[in-house]
Amino acid sequence: MTSKLGQVMGRVAATAVIYGAAAGLGALSAQAAEPIKIGFVTEMTGPWAFFGTSCVNGLKMGEKEVNDAGGALGRPLGFVVADNQTNPQQAVAASRSLDTQDKVVALSGPTSSDNALAIYGYAEQNHLPFLVPVAAYPQLTKPGTRYTFRIEPDAAGWGYAIAKYIEQRKPGAKIALIYSDFALMRAIFAGLKYQAERSKLPIVADVVFPQGSTDATVQAAQVRAASPDFVISVGGGGFDNTITNQLLDLGFKPGEIIHPYGITTQILGWGKRSVGSIYGSFFDQGLESVTPAGRAFIKNYKDKYGRPASYIENYCYVTPYIFKAALEAAGSVDREKLRNALSALKMKEPTSDIPIAFNENGARAEYIYYMEITGISDNDYTSKQLYHTEWQPTVIPVNDLVK
Amino acid sequence: MSDATLLIALSTVFSGLILGSVFALVAAGVTIVYGSIWLPNAANGQFFLLAGLLAWSLSTWLGLNPALAALIVLALGMPFAYLLEITLIRRFYDVPDRNVAYFVVTLGLTQVFSGLFSITYGQWSDQYNIPPIIQGIMLIGPFPIANNRILVLAISLLLLAALFILLKHHPYGRALRAVFQNREAAALRGVNVRGIYRLSFILGTLVIFSGGLLFGAAYSFDLSVSWTMAITAFAIMIVGGPGSVLGALVIGMLFGFTQAIVSTFSTPTVATFSYLGAMLLILLIKPSGLFAR
Repeated sequence: MTSKLGQVMGRVAATAVIYGAAAGLGALSAQAAEPIKIGFVTEMTGPWAFFGTSCVNGLKMGEKEVNDAGGALGRPLGFVVADNQTNPQQAVAASRSLDTQDKVVALSGPTSSDNALAIYGYAEQNHLPFLVPVAAYPQLTKPGTRYTFRIEPDAAGWGYAIAKYIEQRKPGAKIALIYSDFALMRAIFAGLKYQAERSKLPIVADVVFPQGSTDATVQAAQVRAASPDFVISVGGGGFDNTITNQLLDLGFKPGEIIHPYGITTQILGWGKRSVGSIYGSFFDQGLESVTPAGRAFIKNYKDKYGRPASYIENYCYVTPYIFKAALEAAGSVDREKLRNALSALKMKEPTSDIPIAFNENGARAEYIYYMEITGISDNDYTSKQLYHTEWQPTVIPVNDLVK
Repeated sequence: MSDATLLIALSTVFSGLILGSVFALVAAGVTIVYGSIWLPNAANGQFFLLAGLLAWSLSTWLGLNPALAALIVLALGMPFAYLLEITLIRRFYDVPDRNVAYFVVTLGLTQVFSGLFSITYGQWSDQYNIPPIIQGIMLIGPFPIANNRILVLAISLLLLAALFILLKHHPYGRALRAVFQNREAAALRGVNVRGIYRLSFILGTLVIFSGGLLFGAAYSFDLSVSWTMAITAFAIMIVGGPGSVLGALVIGMLFGFTQAIVSTFSTPTVATFSYLGAMLLILLIKPSGLFAR
């Protein structure tokens, strides 16, 4: 009896040793699969907080999907989010900390051009691959850029595309420009003015508001008095909607108003009065090319955050997919190899099948869609695609137009 | 006069009236508090924004009628101001040179509110639009103007008139003016000076709240409006004469009109800063402010 009990105890002990060893091996395996760290410096507080937060929402969804599918190089991707407080100095400090303390393999994250430019300097100087998801200021991909790659087309090109769109829609149309004096908007309108002259579109009014403006009644009346065929309108933050409302109050038809870009909160803010208005986009639920994965992303985003994803969330959602592809092509987490892999990358956005490839300066072959608002409800809208164009970043002298 | 010229002229008048009346209200709220308690409220822009954001929340999230939402926000403004008064403001009533202490304290409040808005509203949206109280467009000659903006203008002017009458003719207004002029003498005449301080802080805060609500009803806004309004309100108070409600009303309207009129012949950048130029000019002529006591 004692002997049998001893045998049972012996078996239990042996089993415990085997399970213990297995658990130990599991832990070792988990240790081996330590995440590949990527610094994500974005605007979680400060005036740009909405864009940074929306971006991180999209990023986290993409990160989870990539990691659920095995990550890259057999390891999960670990995006380390750091708040730059919408402050370029803080953006550099956070980048330095991520580089030297966290030993990230690359940087990404900013949605503000000012912050992206600050990180650009750090990344180029320290040979750290830097993937910009949203910021559109042209100088981020100026000649000589080596470590910075940008997903979003540069803003001067958006202006070029607006002129091309109007040219084909109504040759010789008179246009009026009304916008806020932000870097992004200056770049858009520099491209637009350049191409308007070549597309023979006379500019009958050109109104620039300083940052912090609140009222546009008089300027909207001046634009009305100039009788343009189209008004290209964009303001910073809430002022965007103030300009739009005042143009509509003064009798402009929605179809005469072209917004250079539209994200979900803007479109909902323009409201039902703006059904028929036109806006530029790079990803939108009304696009014809949205893939099933893109539809799932839009739906999941809406279920989670109460509004459909727009191009900002999409570019940040796509970011982990780009890193996965580049890391696997590089075959290592070596920064120089990752940089070379990003440079040679050829893939498609999983959400729209739009190609992603960067030129020698890190700029992407550019494209834009013009959408028409077809319906607006409390938390949603419908739109239809009117026009699509693609061009190479060198089609206009971007770096001469925007210093 | 051609239709185009008339359109621009009428838009200038309405723009000046709406902006001017909102500026005047907020500056009056700031100057009532400064004149009585000697409290330069650096957080006035945050109070202004708080009112707009609360109205936006009630009207868009809860779907309340915007007029009802505004009334609720005003009702909430009273306990808000009272709580601030009993927890913070009254502690400095007897401090010598308390204006400096108050300025620092309200700068602190500005940081607190700014941070709170940034991690809440700042992450929920980049712009806030309170639905119009009334729909439709009215045509005044060739100038179409939204009925909602006419209503905002009417309410602003009514509030300014009511404030003026209250301060001029009501016993509270007389007591407040007595405290403005000489608090020791007012105390000797039986005025409850600390009670007037409390009432002034609550009234000033409610007037700033009204400005925020009316601005939010007339324009879309974002978090940056707090800074614009804080600077504008201080500029008006300094030019009008610190503590002079009449100065706040007159200079507020003047600033609104200056901005609108300059817009007709210059760029919006020049127009936006034109009132600051006007401020410097007036201060060169009368450094104590036009309506200084």
